[in-house]
Amino acid sequence: MTTDAPTDAETDLAVELRNVDKAFYGVKANDNVNFRLARGEVHALLGENGAGKSTLCSILAGLYRPDAGEMFLNGAPTVFKSPKDALASGVGMIYQHFRLVPNLTVAENFALGHPSTGIRLDQKKLQEEAAELGDRYGLPIDPSARIWQLSVGEQQRVEILKLLYRNVDVLILDEPTAVLTPQESKQLFKTMRQMADEGRSVIFVSHKLREVKEVSDSVTVLRHGRNVGGVATADAEAEDLARMMVGRDLVLPARTDTTQPGSVVLAVTDLRVEGDRGLEVVSGVSFEVRAGEIVGIAGVSGNGQRELALGLNGLRTPTAGRVFITNFDVTKASVLAHIYAGMSYVPQNRLGVGLAPGLTTEENLALKAFRQPPYSRGRRLVPSAFRSEGARQIEQYDVRGVRPGLPIRLLSGGNLQKALIAREIEMGPKVLILHSPTRGLDVGATQTVRQLALAERARGVGVLLISEDLDELLALSDRLLVMYEGEIVGQMNTEDATAERLGLLMAGKRQGEQT
Amino acid sequence: MTRHVVVEPRGLASVKLRILVPVLSVLAALVVGGLFLAITGENPLDVYRKMADVAFGSANGVSNTLISATPLILTGVAAALAFKMLVWNIGGEGQLIMGAVFASGIAIWLGPAAPSWIAIPAVIVAGGVGGAVWASVAAIPRVYLKTNEIITTLMLNFIALSFMNFLVFGSSSPWRDSAVSTFPTGQPIPTNARLPTFFQRLDISIFIAFGLAIAAWWLVGKTRWGFAVQVVGDSPETAKYAGISVPNKILVVFLLSGAAAGFAGALYVAGPIGALEPRSLDLGLGFTGIIVAALAGLHLLAVIPIAILMGALNNSGPALQSIGVPTSTITMLQGAILIFAVGGEFFIRHRIRLPRKESTPQEIPDGVEVA
Amino acid sequence: MNDTQLILTMFAAVGLGTPLIFATVGEIITERAGILNLGVQGMMLIGAVTGFWGTFQTGNLVFGVVIAMVCGAALSAVHAFTSITLRVNQIVSGLALALFGSGLASFLGRAGSEPLVGHPSRAQFEPIFTGGIADIPIVGPLLFGHDPLVYLSWLVAGAASYYLFRTRMGLSLRAVGEDPASAEAAGVHVSKVRYVHVLIGGALAGLGGAYFSLALTPTWQDDPIGAAGWIAIALVILASWRPWRAVFAAYLFGAAERVQFTLQTLGEPWSDIPSTLLAMLPFILAIIAMIVLTSGKRARLLGAPSALGVPYFREQR
Repeated sequence: MTTDAPTDAETDLAVELRNVDKAFYGVKANDNVNFRLARGEVHALLGENGAGKSTLCSILAGLYRPDAGEMFLNGAPTVFKSPKDALASGVGMIYQHFRLVPNLTVAENFALGHPSTGIRLDQKKLQEEAAELGDRYGLPIDPSARIWQLSVGEQQRVEILKLLYRNVDVLILDEPTAVLTPQESKQLFKTMRQMADEGRSVIFVSHKLREVKEVSDSVTVLRHGRNVGGVATADAEAEDLARMMVGRDLVLPARTDTTQPGSVVLAVTDLRVEGDRGLEVVSGVSFEVRAGEIVGIAGVSGNGQRELALGLNGLRTPTAGRVFITNFDVTKASVLAHIYAGMSYVPQNRLGVGLAPGLTTEENLALKAFRQPPYSRGRRLVPSAFRSEGARQIEQYDVRGVRPGLPIRLLSGGNLQKALIAREIEMGPKVLILHSPTRGLDVGATQTVRQLALAERARGVGVLLISEDLDELLALSDRLLVMYEGEIVGQMNTEDATAERLGLLMAGKRQGEQT
Repeated sequence: MTRHVVVEPRGLASVKLRILVPVLSVLAALVVGGLFLAITGENPLDVYRKMADVAFGSANGVSNTLISATPLILTGVAAALAFKMLVWNIGGEGQLIMGAVFASGIAIWLGPAAPSWIAIPAVIVAGGVGGAVWASVAAIPRVYLKTNEIITTLMLNFIALSFMNFLVFGSSSPWRDSAVSTFPTGQPIPTNARLPTFFQRLDISIFIAFGLAIAAWWLVGKTRWGFAVQVVGDSPETAKYAGISVPNKILVVFLLSGAAAGFAGALYVAGPIGALEPRSLDLGLGFTGIIVAALAGLHLLAVIPIAILMGALNNSGPALQSIGVPTSTITMLQGAILIFAVGGEFFIRHRIRLPRKESTPQEIPDGVEVA
Repeated sequence: MNDTQLILTMFAAVGLGTPLIFATVGEIITERAGILNLGVQGMMLIGAVTGFWGTFQTGNLVFGVVIAMVCGAALSAVHAFTSITLRVNQIVSGLALALFGSGLASFLGRAGSEPLVGHPSRAQFEPIFTGGIADIPIVGPLLFGHDPLVYLSWLVAGAASYYLFRTRMGLSLRAVGEDPASAEAAGVHVSKVRYVHVLIGGALAGLGGAYFSLALTPTWQDDPIGAAGWIAIALVILASWRPWRAVFAAYLFGAAERVQFTLQTLGEPWSDIPSTLLAMLPFILAIIAMIVLTSGKRARLLGAPSALGVPYFREQR
């Protein structure tokens, strides 16, 4: 085995990964990754969604076991069998979805599963210890508060302190700032610094360049599951990091047709939508989509795209702003009214939102149109129409693997998506929203889906394409908008787009701030 | 690493498996029951032979079996309809009783002068209304306040039972037979509100029950409304996305479920009993309906044969006493059947295999992002 | 109502409430682990018949109680297997248990050549203290006039409270019922915790059943416990999943049951209140409690375990 790892044995390494491979269902999430974490540093792990950051962290935290490669903890070869195992060795991870029991107090969460002896649970002592720990790290908490009473930022503090309570040496924080306000992020960075100064090592997963520049000592960049570079943060410019992260030469779109966009079919003004936790996550978005054009929304996931789509479809009532489909105001209208006004929507979550997993393919194809002929006559369903219409669409949209009477969940991802798009197109929409339409699909299905999108554009439908895949956005869109933290931070014609420019916008550098 | 068992969700169970599981459940329950019979010194085969003979061995037996089956078809439909939608209405018992209260009430109120063609439909409709009204006490909080319906429907069973006891035993209400004072019984309903018999003691309520089960099946399987209901039952998120009103569908199904149980009460009162008679209505018919629905795999037509089987069990119970075997054998058997049937669900939903090779221990389920 | 009747009522309420305490505390422990066991009625009846049988065979009350607890736990093991290992529907499984248990109990009481039914118990629990402190007016009978199982029920409720809120195992138990995935991430063995506490719940239900046949009405009859098992399920909510509150909730219902008799002795107009309507009281209270206290987000404030009735799939991380 040859490693290109430098042999500077004098650096004090806390963790080292050599040549780590990890595949899921044959797709390599980590491909020959090397990773070196020094003691007492804050080490940023940078990469786009799907670059393999979370997989790498989960390997470090004992959640996954690598298919190949080695791990060294303080220089000694180590294998973690479970997160419990890793925790006992001093490696702890804070997941994006916190692992705190909501109904227990802060102090009780500290004690849960803690390998201390004794039967009795000394609440008073625990609370004192918890409060003391919080004070020491500048993370004040109320140890007797129950988790559900805390804000997300406070919950994160508890997660961090919980690991410190177990005295871990290596803390992995998976996109910790995604849920924080800027002020809370500032405080978190201070704490990270302090932990590093104490000799602990902190892995900071992020795709936000500004934060990486601000807090980290060194950076490892992952792309497509591969390690594409490790540098000291001080030596790297934001532009360099952006290029490493996005890292592709621009494939210019093959669209040669220059159809003239028609009238406005979707108009959005100052739209505001709340997230699942009741905080505003779409903050005053305005844009238009014209008939016969594809407007792409770029951005790292979790910046309000999902809620934007929900707000545009009536699945979540906006708190402010207006949505027009052609000239109908549908801002506060029901989902059904949106459908009748000409809105079609291919959600990110195919099974469970877009499709009913337990129903058959034919039934799923009729999921929206079943109220009208030919599927129903009066109040009665017409089974023969389900069969004939189903057969036609399965044929026309090349949905494969359909067996009569069997639930649709048995189809492959690509065929699920073809069926879903078929149904949405068959509704004859004026506006078509596609959210990550090719995620997880193979090359063939990806091609089909993109062709369908272009065909709809040619037919005069206004298409809104929300995606994290820059290649896809560049190949299909006429115009691009970039969404960051609930706002449109930049827009451009596709011809003017470069990877650097998009990368910086996606990482939170506004158009005006760019040099 | 040692070989380990892999349990994975099954795509779709074959029809054979879907029939096999209930059949095996019944057989396994008979074996367990047989064990207890043998321990207490009975010959299980003799007991089972006797039961089969009582239930199906004579015209009278068949007639009584079908009479016992009639309310079970409807309480079975009530449970299956609700459970399909993940509505845990276990209040079939109380809804049946309230159906019976309403039905007998309207029959007594209409009096002997009302013609049958008015009285009989009125009685049946009143039963459905009574069941639905009673279900609404749990359904409305469920839909609008997200109150867990399991406990509320369960508690409503006992309230309905006490209420019926109050009407007949604890007050001088119109439901109480005023002619009898020492040992209170229900006021017999006028004969023009009674359902006509056509074979032994068997009356037309069996056909009404068949008809209602088929109607429920048709409503869910063949109508626009039923299609929307199926979508909600399969995936509420998808239903919402497709523009279907989820709370409305849940409410209506809950009420229809209550109505089905209420019909059972009405038919029992207007059929074999002929009065609001607590001793004949407090038989656990609502709970048995849950067994019927579970064994039928929540299929609204499969409910019919299963209900007849359970009716046969219920009908053969009292006769066991004549050979010195407790009637409660039947309850025990029914409970055991349900335990095995619910355990068997696991085998319908999952496939178990022993892989030859160690498989990757951390497979990620569908929908998990690999990032 | 005069003093004597008040004391008599309160005294009787303690007796009638005792089996409810055992069963309710047992169900609280089970539900705290996230498992809903609707089979309390079945487990209690099995406890009642096997406890009676054990004492009938040996004349030994302790033996009867132990047998009742073992058999109650054995029946609950069936539910533990279906709901934890097979992860099937807990509601239907619990109902099946209730049905099977009551059928089997009645069957065992009547089967065989010399059935138990109608026989008085060979021994029964008697008050511990006679004379002396038990004769102190008012306080004497209420505090010291009871049989040992009454004191055991106080001990059980107290111990369960301490266990739940003051021990590390209790913390794991609460965490498992609340958020099994987080508990597992913190190093708790979810299935093991669930199994153990379902069995404890079954044993306590069995003990509650035995109280009927060995103390309250020490004769075997077909249906000795009324609807106690179902009431216990309602009491869990009224007690908001806290064992100490179960004691008061149980005595409240014991009193409600007893009041029917007390009212008869008071003459007009009290005796006119029909007992059939009073019998509804516990259930109406439970429904109101359910709607007022546990709807939507309020359930969490009360202590309702969030993962109650939800099967836990370990592989779903």
